[in-house]
Amino acid sequence: MRALLASALEGLTSPVKITEVESGFEALRVLPRASYDLILTDINMPDINGLELVSFLKNDAKYRAIPLIIVSTEGSERDRDKGLSLGADAYLVKPFQPGELRRIAEELLAGDGRTDGAT
Amino acid sequence: MARRRSRSRAGSKADQEFVSEAEEILERVRLDLADLRDQQARGTEVAPDLVNRLFRSAHSLKGLAGLFGFQPIHDLAHHLEDVLDALRLGKLVLHASAVDLVDRSVQLFSALLEAVGDDAALAAAAEPVPELIRGIEGVKQPPEAPSEAFAGLDVNPSLMRALTEYEEHRLRENLRRGRHILLADATFEIISFEDGLSELSAALREVGEVISTLPAPGESSDAQIRFSLLVGSDLPGDEVASRLDFPDTSIRSIRSGTEAPAPEPGSGPPVAEEPPPLADLRDLESLKSISETVRVDIRKLDELMNLVGELVIQRGMLSELIARLSGDAQTVRIGNELSKLHKVLDRKLRELQAAVLDVRMVPLRQVFEKISRVVRRLRHELDRDARLELRGADTELDKLIVEELVDPLMHIVRNALDHAIEPPDERRAAGKEPQGSIRIEAFQRGNHVVISVSDDGRGIDLEALRERARSQGLVPPDEVPSDRETLDLIFAPGLTTRSEVTETSGRGVGLDVVRHNLTLLGGAVDVESTPGRGTTFLLTLPITLAIVQSLVVAVGAQRFAIPLTAVHETLLVEPTDIQRSEGRELLNLRGEALLLRRLAREFGLPEADPDGRRFAVVMGLGDARVGLLVDRLDGQQDTVIKPIQGPIAAVRGVAGATELGGQEPVLVLDVSAFLAEALGRREAA
Repeated sequence: MRALLASALEGLTSPVKITEVESGFEALRVLPRASYDLILTDINMPDINGLELVSFLKNDAKYRAIPLIIVSTEGSERDRDKGLSLGADAYLVKPFQPGELRRIAEELLAGDGRTDGAT
Repeated sequence: MARRRSRSRAGSKADQEFVSEAEEILERVRLDLADLRDQQARGTEVAPDLVNRLFRSAHSLKGLAGLFGFQPIHDLAHHLEDVLDALRLGKLVLHASAVDLVDRSVQLFSALLEAVGDDAALAAAAEPVPELIRGIEGVKQPPEAPSEAFAGLDVNPSLMRALTEYEEHRLRENLRRGRHILLADATFEIISFEDGLSELSAALREVGEVISTLPAPGESSDAQIRFSLLVGSDLPGDEVASRLDFPDTSIRSIRSGTEAPAPEPGSGPPVAEEPPPLADLRDLESLKSISETVRVDIRKLDELMNLVGELVIQRGMLSELIARLSGDAQTVRIGNELSKLHKVLDRKLRELQAAVLDVRMVPLRQVFEKISRVVRRLRHELDRDARLELRGADTELDKLIVEELVDPLMHIVRNALDHAIEPPDERRAAGKEPQGSIRIEAFQRGNHVVISVSDDGRGIDLEALRERARSQGLVPPDEVPSDRETLDLIFAPGLTTRSEVTETSGRGVGLDVVRHNLTLLGGAVDVESTPGRGTTFLLTLPITLAIVQSLVVAVGAQRFAIPLTAVHETLLVEPTDIQRSEGRELLNLRGEALLLRRLAREFGLPEADPDGRRFAVVMGLGDARVGLLVDRLDGQQDTVIKPIQGPIAAVRGVAGATELGGQEPVLVLDVSAFLAEALGRREAA
């Protein structure tokens, strides 16, 4: 899944550097080490859930401004909506088309603010 | 030969798989349910684990039915799981109506499983499902309020917003259980927070459930990170805090627990529960064990066994060919080389045969469990107090034999409980313990498994039995059968030792049927009894029916096979050794009279030289013995016994047919028939 996301993002118009992490915990550890332009997170993760990560990021002055995309599965609309209400900028429903992800990512990186995300 | 009772449903393979797995689950439920009733009846505290097991069984059944798409079974299991969940969590008091519902569900499940494979029957069987579900809903507490705001929780709303649906549910459950809700705040160095956090989580799981782990935003420096853990626990916050000794950790109560309704003494499991993570782990374990086992239709094993059997026959032909090659000077070298190869082949074939046989073996445990369940039920129904002792549950038998064994064994046990064990008062008067005892013991003896069923009841009244047999015309009026013969009369068709037929022992199914069924399996049943002291039934069964070693004997040109398991020894008999008495021929075998029978006469074959030397094959099952006179012994062979069809099937003394090396069909003798007649029994054809 991560590889799929990464390969989709590698096709962006301006080249990007991607950091893959395996879990919410690892994300928490790598976040302070560099500055990021876009964050993608799943909701179901082994340690902390994606919503908790979103809540953390969007309530922290250092990370609040980074655009954030939630990747959710079909049927978990409630969790997805919660994510958006916690401040996530867009969502992507698995299975997704790489083009969709690129479109959303381009919009967010261009600083267009919120998008409607995938439909 | 006994054939496996074929399952009448013509369902698909998936259906069969589902049914067989579901039946296994249901069997566990029945067993646990019987234990539960037992514990309730005794007034002892119901073991929490028992309810937990029932819950897990319902959960497995639900999952299984869901997987295979059996909606009514899934729905019923789902509701049952809910109610059992409530029971195991102590939210529901375990009163009789709840147990009855589980009981009724089990019965309904059985009916539904019976109907699998026949859509119309399944729909009909599913009719009572909604009503039962309503009944289950009736005993459950009012359903939880959907997503009520967790009012009264003294906690940062951003934490609540970050809970997933499942975590919300867990929180609600903890609240409903009246648990304390705690918030543990801990700060860790960011480079090593995972270790510290997992230690803290593990410690908290010892005292409760970690519902959510939230990294706390904003306040942490770059080098540190703070987490808030939402915990449900039976212990109040200060106690948890004092138990846990973690640096930089604060624990506070955000909602005090409410006293859960105390279960009535002995009526419910205590509220204390292992935390769900543990239960989840166990689910995983049980899944694992399923994946390590392969379910195989026994017919497939039969096929495999047949193939092995045919290989065995081919090997026999090969060995004859090799003997010819080795016997000829021109081919002796190649014959000897082939012979070496043949030995290796032979060894491997034996290993293969043993391995295939081993796959068919199952322990008697399942049968024992079924019996103990029935005994528990009967104890209440018959008001007989009897202890059931089971030994040798690990003794293994061919699956096919085990299946056919259940009914005869059950019959004997029922008889013991219904007729043999006296009511407590009568027992006291006879100077016995008021509680009777039924002991079932299984052990292997050579190629047979012996199962003994002993009771310490009133024993069999031989005089009454003789009278009864005489009045029913089973014994001529002028004949006085010996004690041994009299005892054996209980296996005679149509004989009942009691005039009233009870529900328990059933009508019309007597010990004659038991003997008949065991005989079909190549087994035997014997009885020993001491008046006032008790009765013991001895069931002797071959370990497998699939491949048996046979002794090949001949009368003239006709050859027969005798299963070697029934052969005790063979003797060379001179005509002068044979004594005659009352039209019977007898042989003095180390001081005991052995009844002789001539195989030629049994089948109306010409005897080459009636007064010549003969071989006597001493055959026996259980304690019975008979000597069979034959012209020749032609050695031992592995034989695959096949049932025969047509008129020969009705011939007494023939158990089936087999092929020998030269592809010559040979009849296999039914040893029990010879023994029966040797004992002077007259069995209905």
